Order: sequence, then C-alpha cells, then structure tokens
Amino acid sequence: MSDLFRILGSAASSLDAQTAAAATTSHNLENSNTPGYARQRVSIETTLPAEEVGNVYIGQGAQVASVTQVRDGFLEAQLPSAFGQASSSSATASTLQAVDALDPQASGGLGDAVSGFYAALSQLAQNAADPGLRQSAVSAAQTLATSFNQTRGALEEARTGVDQKLSGDVAQVNDLAQTVASLNGQIRAARAGGAEPNDLLDARQQAVDQLAQLSGALPVATSEGDVSLFLSGGAPLVTSLKAGTLSAVPDPANGGHLGLELKAGGVQRKVSPGGELGGLLSARDGALETAVNSLDTLAFDFSGAVNAVHQAGVDLSGNAGQPLFSVTALNGAAAQIAVNAAIAANPALLATAHAGGGPGDASNVNDLLKTQSQLLSGGLDASGTLSQVTSAFGATAASAKAQSDADGALRDHLTTLRASASGVSIDEELIAMQKTQQAYQAISKVLQTTNDLFTTLMSIKPT
Amino acid sequence: MRVTDAMLYERAAQDCSSARSRMDEATSEVSSGKKLSQPGDDPAASGLVVLEQMRKNQFDAIASAAGRASDELSAADGALNTVDNALSRARELAVQLSNGTYSASDRAAGAAEVTGLISTIVSALNTQVGNRYVFGGTQDGTAPFSGVVTDTSGNVDPALTGAYHGDAGVRQVEIAPGVLQDVSVRADVALKGVGGGSDVLATLANLANALTANDPAAVGATLDGLTQGTTQVATARSVAGADVDTLTAAVNASQAASADATKRISGLADADPIQSASDLAAAQTALQASLTAVGESFKFSLLNYL
Repeated sequence: MSDLFRILGSAASSLDAQTAAAATTSHNLENSNTPGYARQRVSIETTLPAEEVGNVYIGQGAQVASVTQVRDGFLEAQLPSAFGQASSSSATASTLQAVDALDPQASGGLGDAVSGFYAALSQLAQNAADPGLRQSAVSAAQTLATSFNQTRGALEEARTGVDQKLSGDVAQVNDLAQTVASLNGQIRAARAGGAEPNDLLDARQQAVDQLAQLSGALPVATSEGDVSLFLSGGAPLVTSLKAGTLSAVPDPANGGHLGLELKAGGVQRKVSPGGELGGLLSARDGALETAVNSLDTLAFDFSGAVNAVHQAGVDLSGNAGQPLFSVTALNGAAAQIAVNAAIAANPALLATAHAGGGPGDASNVNDLLKTQSQLLSGGLDASGTLSQVTSAFGATAASAKAQSDADGALRDHLTTLRASASGVSIDEELIAMQKTQQAYQAISKVLQTTNDLFTTLMSIKPT
Repeated sequence: MRVTDAMLYERAAQDCSSARSRMDEATSEVSSGKKLSQPGDDPAASGLVVLEQMRKNQFDAIASAAGRASDELSAADGALNTVDNALSRARELAVQLSNGTYSASDRAAGAAEVTGLISTIVSALNTQVGNRYVFGGTQDGTAPFSGVVTDTSGNVDPALTGAYHGDAGVRQVEIAPGVLQDVSVRADVALKGVGGGSDVLATLANLANALTANDPAAVGATLDGLTQGTTQVATARSVAGADVDTLTAAVNASQAASADATKRISGLADADPIQSASDLAAAQTALQASLTAVGESFKFSLLNYL
C-alpha cells in the first residue's frame, strides 16, 4: 500500500537523478573546450518495478539508468586513416616547401654559377695569356664547384633535419603507444564494474588520434574492448596491453640516414609507417634524395666533360692539361667537386691552347665553351639538366602540396562532422540545465507538499 | 546539422587561417613582384626560368666577347690604314725617284723617308689592344715585327728588318652558341707574303737601299712589289671589315636573344601587377568578411539571454 514515506523515498531518488543530470551537464560545460571530449548524456528512466497496490501500479519516481558518450561510430572509423593521410602529405609538403636551394630565381644559385663559369671562359678566349683573365676563369670554376657543394649541402641538410624530426616523433609515438596500452588496462578494469568509463575512453581516443597523425597507426577494436594499433604492413604497435617500441636506427645503405624499426613481442623489424613519420620519410627519400642524386650525376658528368676537353689542351708552358675539376666518384660528386688544387694555385696551368699554339692560342678555351651545349648522360646539356632537376623537384613539391590540401580538407570535414556529433553545444547544455533545474524544483515541491501532508496528518488531534 | 561550440571555433580558426594565408600569398606577390618563389609554385615554369636565365647569361657573354673582338678588329683595321697610307707614300716616292732627273741627294732624302715609313709601318703593326699584340697570331705576348735593322755598310737589312716573330694562328670567337668566327688578321700573309704574296717590308728595305745606292732602275724594280703589297693590305682590310660586320651582327643578335630571354623569364616568373593588385584586394575583402562573420557568430549564445 502506498504511503507518504514512500513518496518521500521516491522523491529523494528522483532528486538524485536530477542531480546526476545537473552534474553531467556541468561536466559537459566544463569540458566544452577539452580536445577529444565527447559529450555525455544521462538517461533517466522510471524506477521499476512500480508498486502494485490492489489492482493498480503506482510509480516510484525516476532514477539514473546510464551515463553514455555520444559518438558516431561511422565517422570515427574514418578518422584515423584521414588523420594519417593528412599528416603524411602535409609533412611531405612542408618539408619540401622549406627547401630553397633550388629556387628558380634566387641569385647566386647553381644556374648562375654554371653560366658564370662559361662567361669567364668566353672572356678568357679574348686574351688567353692574360693572367687576370686566367685568374678570373679559375675563380669562376671555384665558384661553380662551391655552388655545387652548397646546393647539395643545403639539400642534404634538409634530409638531416628530417632525421632530427624523426627522432622527436619516434619518442612521442612510444609515449603514446604506452599510454594506449595502459588505458586499455584501465578501461578493462573499470568496465569490470559494469559502467562505461567515459573519460578514459576519451583519453584513449585522443591518444589513438595522435598516433594516427604521427604514425598512421590504424586502430582495431578487440572483443575485450581494447584497442590494438597496427602500422602499415601489419606491424603491431599496440596489442591490447602491450606496446611495441619504435626506434630510429641509422641505415648505412641510405647514407647513415635514420630508418625506423619496431620491436614488438621480442621481434625487431623494419617498418615504414604512415602519418607524419611516413610523410617525412617520403620527402627525405623521395624528392630530396632524387635531387641530391641528380646533382651528383650532373656534377660528375659535367666535370667529366670539361676535364676531357681540358686534358686535351696544353697550358702556358706547353704541358698537357690536368683535370680542371677533381671528382673521384659519382656518389657524392656534387659534394666533392673542387677545382684541381694545382690549377687553383697557378692559373698558368689552365690548358687554354692546343699543342703547338702560342700563349695567345685560345682554341682549347673555345673547345671548353662547346661543352656548354654538350649532351650529358641524361641526354640533356648542363642547363637542360639543371632545368629538369628544378622542374622534377617542383613537380613533386607541387603534387605534395595539392595532396596535402585535399587530405587536409577531408580531415577538416570529418573533424567538423565529429564536432557536430560529439562536441558540446553550450546552448544545448544551458537548456538541459534549465530543464534539470525545473525538474529539481518540482521534485522539491513534492517534498514540501509531502511534508505539509505529514504536518496535516500529525496535527489531527484525537477528539 | 547540429552546431556545437567546438565546431564553431574550429571552423572559425580554419576559415580565418586560410583567408589569412591567401592574403599573405597575395601580399607577397604584390610586394615582390614575383609569382614564382619556389619550384613547387609552377614546376614547368621554374625549369624554364632556369634554362632561360642560363641562356640569357650565355648570350650576354657572347655579346660581350663579340663586342670586344669587334673593338680589337677595328684597332687592327686602324693600324692597317696607317700601313696603307705609308705604302702609298712609298709608292709615290718610288715612282718619282725612279725617274733619272732626280739627283743623288734627292734619292738620299727619299731613302731616309722610306726608312721612316718602315718604322711607322712596324710600329703600327705592333699595335696592342690591352696587353696583347693583335698581329702576332697566337704569339701575342711579344712584338710580332722587328724594327729597322741596318748592316755595317749602313744599308737596311731586308731579311732582319720587319722580321715576323708571330705565328699563323687565327683567333676565334664564339658568335652564337657553338659557332666560331675568325677574328684576327693574318699579318704574315698581308705584309710578309706568306703563301705566295709579296714581302712588303723586304721590298721597302730594298727600296731604301736602292735609293741610298742612287740606282733609279732598282728603285723602279720595287714598284711591282709595292703595288702587290697595297693589294694585300686592302684584301686584309676588307676581310677585317667583313668580320667586324659579322661581329656587329652577332652582338646585335645576342643582345636581342638576351632581351628575348629576359622577356620570357619575366613572363614566366613575374607577377602581373594589375592582376596581383586585384587579387590582393579580393583577398583583403575575403579576410575582412571572414573576420566579421566569425566575430558575429561568437556574439550569439544563450548565455547572454539567461
């Protein structure tokens, strides 16, 4: 049978439910600016079972059924790969964009140095015996060699810079992988109590997002409710409660640049991750390496062509010419190239004449001038090759930029949709707060009224 | 669509940042006047700019080399003009003094004048441009012709006087990429008769000696050689003149090619000022609109009304 105490009891539990709703709303408001936070909803339900009195059921108020996160699984499944792609292409694009060694209009670049060398030869052809002109031809050759060194140095520096960034990213990936593994454990423990540990889920989601951006790792949910993460090629970065360790190891096959290895489950293996790490690697071992190799080839072919002609001539004393440029091997040619030290010290050793010619004989200088249009191993002359190196680098940089714009747009679109589904709307929460307040006041009124009823009841005096 | 605050702020950040980055690009294009700053801005144009820049430098070098070669040839032509005048005077004297009516003292005075003419010719042939002798072939470090040498009897030595110390080398200059043009005069051919001509300087020495010996017949015998010498010098001058014309044409062509290359570089890499100014104005307007919209969107919140 229903009585006033029961009303008091159900009002108290209903007030609890409204307090929980107010607490959740305030939690939402307090986290409206927390990255990765998904809004939470209290679902309040009628307390069951209702009390059967005679042949009717009398309700027993309301109680909290659950507090859940609002997440859109369809969207969230697309996000990690979008994050990985966008970070990858943006890392490639910004790395390539930061390289200015091949800027077409920068004065003092390699193109200027090559034409400066030929301009000096052209002047020397006017007066081959003139010590001043010989000196300036040698200086122009030195400028050219230095320009090769500097351009290649700047490209190599960009590659080394990538290595430094890789090391930093690797440490961050390892931290985050540990975080995910440990959160997997905490979530398991919390769920054992039956409730959803929403804030732990948020923290894990946040770490998974960051890992996707850094390494392109894709999450796979397990039946235990854990999240395992796999790098491209199936390398396990996190398996349930265990995190692998990523390390950056110098790769002798790649000029000592860092390669990435993952140690997981006692197995050490080479990995090629995606995300920012992948983007950095693709810039370093793609366009930048190609440009470095092309410069080496150009330096090697060019110095070979010039040296062949130079050695066919004779110097001021009638001795056969020495190689003008010293280059030993194709690999690293642009870094090694230098003017022959003997010629640099004594410009009289420039082989300007043909055998038998007088000091004013500039016929070998004219032959050297012809190397300007000589086709090198790539089927183009020096200027054509340089132009091609610039275009090829530019084309990769431009396509990385376009790819980065497209990937970034997709990522922004998906994060906007996620913010729409899971983000906190202050307006909405304020309305919810008002609603809760009204309900709370109403229930308080119930308590007040019940109290009045009691007072009325108690004030009945025996007659 | 459900609009949340995070979404509002995120979109505001994205939109403002992209509007600002567009404005930054437009500003840099206007302030630098260049639309190509990195190869990635336009890969094909960047490659062409490198190529055109090197081509321009090559044509500039050719124009300057051909220009200097042309100056040198003009100096050589000036020297040959002096030689020509001196030869005319020598022929005049030879015609005049081969006539028997002149006295021994007239011929002695003639001999002195001819010796002087030889010195004039030799010093003209030893003309230098910069520090090089233009008539020495590739032996351009030493004077190519000897001066007047007299033997013990006071006669001019026809073998040693005006002896040539240069060689048969001909200087060449690049007048177009890969094209070489001869740009020196063979003084040994014009004055020393190498290759079947008359040795003009020896003939002049013989004339001086014949005049000293007061021998009208021997004086007359030098006339043929002198005439042939004049022809040789005239031929050399006409070759030099033609070469100067070629070089002038090469200089003009190279300058035009260099100007063309500059024009093409400008077309590829320079921003169109009107276009970039209007782009900048558009970018400014867009940024302003974006900032205004964002500012407005932040104003509306239930917080202000509760």
